[in-house]
Amino acid sequence: MEFHQPTTLDDALTLLAADPEALPLAGGATLVAMLNAELIEPSALVSLGGICELHTIEATPEGGLRLGAMLSHATLASEARLTGGNAVMRQAAAQIAHPAVRNIGTLGGAVAHGDPSSDLPAALVAADAVIEVAGPSGRRSIAAEGFFEDYLTTALEEGEMVAAVILPPQPESAVGHYEKFARVHGDYATLSVAVVLAMASGKCSHVRIALGAAGATPVRVVAAEARLIGSSLDAGAISEAAALLTAASDPVDDVRGSADYRLMLVPRLLTRALAAAGGAP
Amino acid sequence: MSDIESATESAIGKSPPRLEAAEKAAGTAIYSGDMELPGMLHAALLTSPYSHARILSYDVSAALALPGVKAVVTAEDISGGYIGLVCKDEKALAHGKVRYIGEPVAAVAARDEATARLAARLIEVEYEELPAATTVEQAMAEGAPVLHEDFADYTKIYQAPENEGNLLARAEAVMGRGVDGFDEADVIVEGTYEVGAQYHAYMEPVSVLAAFGPDGRVTVWSSTQSIFRTQANIHEGLGIPMGKIRCVAPRIGGGFGAKAEASGQLVTVMLAKKAGMPVRLVLTRDEDMTSMRARHPGTLRVKTGAKADGTLVAREMEVWLDAGAYADDSPAVMNLVLFYARGSYSIPHVRALGHAVYTNKLRLGAFRGFGNPQASFAAESQLDEIAEKLGIDPIELRIKNAIKAGEQWLGGQRITSCALVESLEKVRDASDWTRRREAAPGRKRGLGVAAMTHTSAFLSSGAIVRLQGDGSIILNVGAVDIGQGSDTALSQMCAAALGLDIEQVSFATPDTDSAPYNYGTNASRVTYTVGQAVHRAAMQVRAQLLEHAAAMLECSEGQLELRPGGRIGVDVEPPRNAEVSFADIAGRSLWAVGGPITGSGSYIPNDPPDPEHTKMTGFLGLDALSVLTFGAQVVEVEVDEVTGAVEVIEAWCAHDVGRAINPGAVESQIHGGFVQGQGYALCEEMLWEDGRLVNPSFMDYKFPGTLDTPDKIHAIILETPEKSHPFHVKGVGEPPLVGAAPAINNALSAATGLRLKQIPLTPERVLRGLLEKG
Amino acid sequence: MINITLKVNGEERALSLPATRTLLAALRNDMKLTGSKNACNQGVCGACTVLLDGVPVNACLVLAANVAGREIVTIEGLGEGGKLSPMQQAFVDAGAIQCGFCMSGMIVSATAFLAENPKPSRKEIRQALSGNLCRCSGYVRVIDAVELAAGRSGA
Ligand SMILES: Cc1cc2nc3c(=O)[nH]c(=O)nc-3n(C[C@H](O)[C@H](O)[C@H](O)COP(=O)(O)OP(=O)(O)OC[C@H]3O[C@@H](n4cnc5c(N)ncnc54)[C@H](O)[C@@H]3O)c2cc1C
Ligand code: FES
Ligand code: FES
Repeated sequence: MEFHQPTTLDDALTLLAADPEALPLAGGATLVAMLNAELIEPSALVSLGGICELHTIEATPEGGLRLGAMLSHATLASEARLTGGNAVMRQAAAQIAHPAVRNIGTLGGAVAHGDPSSDLPAALVAADAVIEVAGPSGRRSIAAEGFFEDYLTTALEEGEMVAAVILPPQPESAVGHYEKFARVHGDYATLSVAVVLAMASGKCSHVRIALGAAGATPVRVVAAEARLIGSSLDAGAISEAAALLTAASDPVDDVRGSADYRLMLVPRLLTRALAAAGGAP
Repeated sequence: MSDIESATESAIGKSPPRLEAAEKAAGTAIYSGDMELPGMLHAALLTSPYSHARILSYDVSAALALPGVKAVVTAEDISGGYIGLVCKDEKALAHGKVRYIGEPVAAVAARDEATARLAARLIEVEYEELPAATTVEQAMAEGAPVLHEDFADYTKIYQAPENEGNLLARAEAVMGRGVDGFDEADVIVEGTYEVGAQYHAYMEPVSVLAAFGPDGRVTVWSSTQSIFRTQANIHEGLGIPMGKIRCVAPRIGGGFGAKAEASGQLVTVMLAKKAGMPVRLVLTRDEDMTSMRARHPGTLRVKTGAKADGTLVAREMEVWLDAGAYADDSPAVMNLVLFYARGSYSIPHVRALGHAVYTNKLRLGAFRGFGNPQASFAAESQLDEIAEKLGIDPIELRIKNAIKAGEQWLGGQRITSCALVESLEKVRDASDWTRRREAAPGRKRGLGVAAMTHTSAFLSSGAIVRLQGDGSIILNVGAVDIGQGSDTALSQMCAAALGLDIEQVSFATPDTDSAPYNYGTNASRVTYTVGQAVHRAAMQVRAQLLEHAAAMLECSEGQLELRPGGRIGVDVEPPRNAEVSFADIAGRSLWAVGGPITGSGSYIPNDPPDPEHTKMTGFLGLDALSVLTFGAQVVEVEVDEVTGAVEVIEAWCAHDVGRAINPGAVESQIHGGFVQGQGYALCEEMLWEDGRLVNPSFMDYKFPGTLDTPDKIHAIILETPEKSHPFHVKGVGEPPLVGAAPAINNALSAATGLRLKQIPLTPERVLRGLLEKG
Repeated sequence: MINITLKVNGEERALSLPATRTLLAALRNDMKLTGSKNACNQGVCGACTVLLDGVPVNACLVLAANVAGREIVTIEGLGEGGKLSPMQQAFVDAGAIQCGFCMSGMIVSATAFLAENPKPSRKEIRQALSGNLCRCSGYVRVIDAVELAAGRSGA
């Protein structure tokens, strides 16, 4: 296996374009574990660690944040600018695995891997983030909601990489909350709920909800959010919204919980998440 | 001589740092997987992809042709016979048939690990797949595929069933009027309880290093709980004379029962022999989980009868344990489930019936508690159901029926010391049992209790104590410290018997070449059983020391006083300032009179069951099993009604240890045992689908971490001197685990009114239960 | 084979190894530093925890080639002149160590944590060590040990 350590994104893209069997290496939290288990045998690895631009955080002109792909979960978890609605990202990052893995794992790696039971995808969808993709033919932007296409499958085309994630400015009074339920601390979620919520005079003025581990990709249902907007988040509204989300969910049966159990959790964790985000009556 | 007694107290009841703590903290402690020898090869296994299949042929040519490969072994290379502690049904590698997915079939030794692994995959094995029985129900069904066609021919040390297919063992114990005793009951509660398979999850996966010397002897360093069982298994399984096998235990990264019998040692020795070079095998976690052992899953039907005033009158228990593909310790574990079926109570009428059944799974085996966790989960849960039915406080009910010193245990053995009532009272007071519990919104809190009893004397042990030229002592017992701290505790006992500081006693590395026999580190037996032998050996040394001292100081032995730190002085009126040091005595013995001072002690408990008291059939002898230790635990849980998750908030664990040689180590055993029991209760379960383990990794099999465990685990040590032991000790390795599951289950019930009969109490089971209950 | 140098416990080490070799394997096999343990090879247990430029990482998840030129501290590098470090000593004194297999990683994690947060609460210690599994201790004495080390350094 060959090993490359480019220092620019262009060099990395060139290396990837030259060898379709090559893989980008971010922290290695997933990739190296798979190598150790002899699950993958790439012809080459293109390490992204030396590419400076992937390590930056900057404010966007619109008032949002642009997060480089190589930022670690630990960095996101302590990033003070992830406030308001975007706190959902900070909270999700802080609940990934445990401290040492958070020092290794990266935003770009988690996004590119596209594991539906991982934490960042749902948070990104709730935050209405945009994934900035770099490829042989330039850059393109894809809304997080459309980026996750299937189980471990994303909109990335051959030779493309995640360069950054752009978080939009969230509504003024929005609060983000990430509610994760796992068998033990640090495990992948059995079910998670990412919420960005704004209330105005006791009524929901903005809400975006995405479920993690509820299907092959993060589950978002516009009609469920519509049912909540304008409501006081009363039990009736929440249960109707939850029913819509449950109907759209198609979770797996595995060691982290049966599909049935995960579905049972949808309304329960949704209620908890909304309350935590400030929607408690 | 009375002062000798007080001088001997010095090293006892203290908690010096463990002998090997500093090297472990420094990272320099050597475990078998850390060892290397010149020219050492690396081993890799090929394991079975089938639950049940006949092996038709092997083709190892491609593997052998790979550069760097030095040896390949299959069952055709096995020169010995069957192994197994109680039923010899297993060989070094699968032979003739494979009986579970993950069973080692062949192995390779090569220059490096990657080559070995690659070569293992190049071995071609032709199989004829057979119908499999992966559950007890399937294995006991009419016409079920038989795992061991030759079962009748196997050597067994118990009365085994005949012509009953996959039934490996059946045993029954009847006390009093047995089930007829239920006619004395005013209330009867009956239920069926299910327990899951718990993986030991010692942090050190099995590792072995084997090397033949020029004299044809093989040395085996391995992660084992018993160097002598390892030696015996290599001898029986490979036909090598015992004198040509030397087994050594370096540091061991936990065992909890799984490393008591053979693991990777036999196949590593086969490879080393064939390759003519040292070979090291280190299992991956996945291999360890799929091929080692786990706690028996099973079903327990339990029935308890009580009088209206709470007096327990009858108990029936019928147990079905899944034994997996090989007998291993299963018949013994099943016997012990029955041994604990009556619980810690004076129930007059008991019937306990047990079965262990072969299935196409990895072998289930010994695990901290050895049958007791299963029995106690069922019986202690049911006791709370009775308490509830009768409107009696669960602790009151237990105290009312508590067994006492002088009474007979199931089997008829007499209880010598017992602090059960004190344990219950202690945890009741310490936990403020009657206080109402406040919980966070959406959550409920409750307290639950369980009591437990466990054995602590078991099988044989020896000790050799040697005085060295400088007056220090070498203690050699052949008992392996698997992390529980026995090296230190045994050294303390030895030091105490000779009035020494612990620093003056060195602990010899367990080595079959030099150590006296010791059965193993299991059954909470080391402190009590090995401690007996240590005391005997030390007393022989002491007698010789006194004899020398009397001659040297020209007085009678009766005038001598053992002084702290290794001196013997004269204690007479008027005082005479004369004393000799152990070094002086050693010098005299080595160069002038008497020869080297050495003591050796042997011990085996002998406490035969009483057939008049309990009628027993199908049991292994219980004679070498004795001395019961008692305890009680109270646990506070918080139940999340949204998710069904149960969190342990606080635990109070009172355990009667007779006397705590090293209180710090006892407390650590209590903390660690309780948390392992919490895992058993709440989240740990190996799961199979059609015979394939679906969670063979730490990613998928979860046990508690720092954020899943309570910060307050109150270890309460009770000391009721056990008179049968020179230092009055009893074991404590296992009991702390035993109580956790029923106490947590009872706490769940107290918090929510939900009574579950299956562990682990996963959030899913709890939530479903809560919803069904309404 | 890839040629790299690493600074391990203050010493420059030149190594030639395959690109797939993890830092853990390189430490244990190539450098004979066996204090870091392999208990899962998957990033779950923390037995392999080392410091990479001062930050705790699972050495089993890091490729050696990917950290060329960087600074690594393992359990063997914590003490000085054959003496245990204050954290190592605290683990001994608190009676936290049983079988010891988890302890290298545990102590390395605790060392990095205390450097960041010298006066932690027990809850914070538990959070910091949440990726270090121990099957023996039940964690109580482990948390005690870190508290002890914190107390001593404050005194
Ligand atoms: C023990 C453990 C527990 C975990 N628990 C959780 C958890 O609870 N929740 C959670 O969300 N996650 C969890 N993870 C996942 C982890 O946090 C990482 O986020 C994830 O594994 C990605 O790791 P990485 O960034 O190091 O990427 P790598 O492992 O380096 O790469 C992952 C994949 O993405 C590709 N890739 C990486 N970067 C890019 C890029 N910029 N563009 C395109 N492709 C790229 C790689 O080729 C590879 O296929 C856990 C991991 C471990 C080891
Ligand atoms: S061995 Fe690296 S985390 Fe377990
Ligand atoms: S001390 Fe044994 S695993 Fe932690």
